[in-house]
Amino acid sequence: MPSAPSLAASFDPASSPDIVKRAELSEIDASTKLPVMFFLCSAVLWLLVGTAFALISSFKLHTPNFLGDIEWLTFGRARTAHLNLVIYGWSVNAAFAVAFWLMARLSRSVLRHSGLLMIAGAFWNIGVTLGVIGILAGDSTSIEWLEIPPYATPLLFVAYALIGAWALITFRFGKSEHIYVSQWYLLAALFWFPWLYSIAQIMLIMQPARGTVQALVNWWFAHNVLGLWFTPIGLAAVYYFLPKVLGKPIHSYYLSILGFWSLALFYNWAGVHHLIGGPVPAWVISAGIAASFMMAIPVIVTGINHHMTMVGSFSALKYSPTLRFIVFGAVSYTITSLIGSLMADRQVSEVVHFTHFTVAHAHQGMYAFFTMVMFGSIYYILPRVLLKEWPSAMLISVHFWAVAVGITVYVVGLSIGGIKQGMEMNNADIPFLKVVADTIPYLLSRSLSGILITIGHLAFAVNFAWMLLRPRAAQKTEPTLFHTPPEMEIIR
Amino acid sequence: MEWVFYGIAFFVSVLVTGSAVYALYWSSKKGQLRDLEKGALSIFDEKEPVGQPTDSFPGKRPPQPAH
Repeated sequence: MPSAPSLAASFDPASSPDIVKRAELSEIDASTKLPVMFFLCSAVLWLLVGTAFALISSFKLHTPNFLGDIEWLTFGRARTAHLNLVIYGWSVNAAFAVAFWLMARLSRSVLRHSGLLMIAGAFWNIGVTLGVIGILAGDSTSIEWLEIPPYATPLLFVAYALIGAWALITFRFGKSEHIYVSQWYLLAALFWFPWLYSIAQIMLIMQPARGTVQALVNWWFAHNVLGLWFTPIGLAAVYYFLPKVLGKPIHSYYLSILGFWSLALFYNWAGVHHLIGGPVPAWVISAGIAASFMMAIPVIVTGINHHMTMVGSFSALKYSPTLRFIVFGAVSYTITSLIGSLMADRQVSEVVHFTHFTVAHAHQGMYAFFTMVMFGSIYYILPRVLLKEWPSAMLISVHFWAVAVGITVYVVGLSIGGIKQGMEMNNADIPFLKVVADTIPYLLSRSLSGILITIGHLAFAVNFAWMLLRPRAAQKTEPTLFHTPPEMEIIR
Repeated sequence: MEWVFYGIAFFVSVLVTGSAVYALYWSSKKGQLRDLEKGALSIFDEKEPVGQPTDSFPGKRPPQPAH
């Protein structure tokens, strides 16, 4: 193991990056074990709880009396709890774990100061627990995406600050000559999120902006959490795993860099398209619409790049679980982003705004793209960190097909239902209650897909727990290649 | 009172924007934007070279790399 500098040496601007050595991939993987496993275990637990709340909320929409007399589980609380559980519990924990592992691998040095990360992890998960209990108890702030009550948010912020500091140290002592595109995305994401979060806390919770400015800040934050935090982390993973699993470099590295900088330039403006038709200055909305359409550049560039990398290698989808999830996620990214740009159009927004179409779109982004990419990453990372094989290939297949079919039914069903709902709402001759009743079949399809997704998550959790608990036995086959078996060495 | 917060918010926003501009300047100065195709190869090494698939279902082998 290369000698690890002390925390003080890492913070000292005078110390030279030469005090760390370039490390082997296996060394790096081993060094990430503690923090990666802590964040992944937390993520999987939150995923299960979040899924339960998703089902409760979904059933309530077509069967309003379901658990209706329990104050803690009324729709307003259960749905909000679901959102915060899957975002701050599952997605952020998984994103952190994947980001740590990728940062360490890409900077080619062993992960140091895992103590910092463990303290951050404790703060983050206590913060989420307290926040969700607060929401269920009725303390929600009622500001979308920032519902966690003010007594829990400082914990999240402390966790975040520690992780940001860690990322800078890791980057500084990096031993790779080149900054790979994934690293750009990761560093940017780790840098942007504290900015978004602190500004939103200041302007919405501590010293709330007045009037419509509040709504502007709210949607600037909520949309940027997706675009400047989850999207870069998801894309960082795709840009690493797609070429790595296939064993061939990304089609055009130039396009990937172009995609990164155009995302950085345009995304920040796009959030206000949520307020189309609202009482905010028209030029702000127009700027948001323009930026939303400009987002087509990074999206198309990224889509072409990923597709061209896959061309000629589609058969790899048969043998690689990681690739299946990653490709599903990457394709969903392109589709959902283009739909998102389209939704910013005033005429389209007139129909789909305030309907289930938006809900379908949100799930396509956070689930079909981001969550699927995280699943794929976990299937790659875990065997290398634990030096064990996944126990069951069958459970991986069940996981993939259940969630892939589930989320497709979800998105298609609610998108069609949402458009119908929007057209009916715009027709003054149709009474509102008929519009509501007409959505019920689509809401039922959502609950059905929820059951499928739950089955997938259970298969994943069982495989995950089984892998953790089973002893590291001699494998019958080479595990998912922590080292290259001799017969597979390339003869030059 | 609120102008103090907005002052901080504005200052932070300027810092974030400035850091992005600096990052672009720094990467160009360090030659990160030159020889991009070589950059794409930086995730491969002797142990896991180009042409080597690195993931498969448990119990199965990825196909032999093309020579």
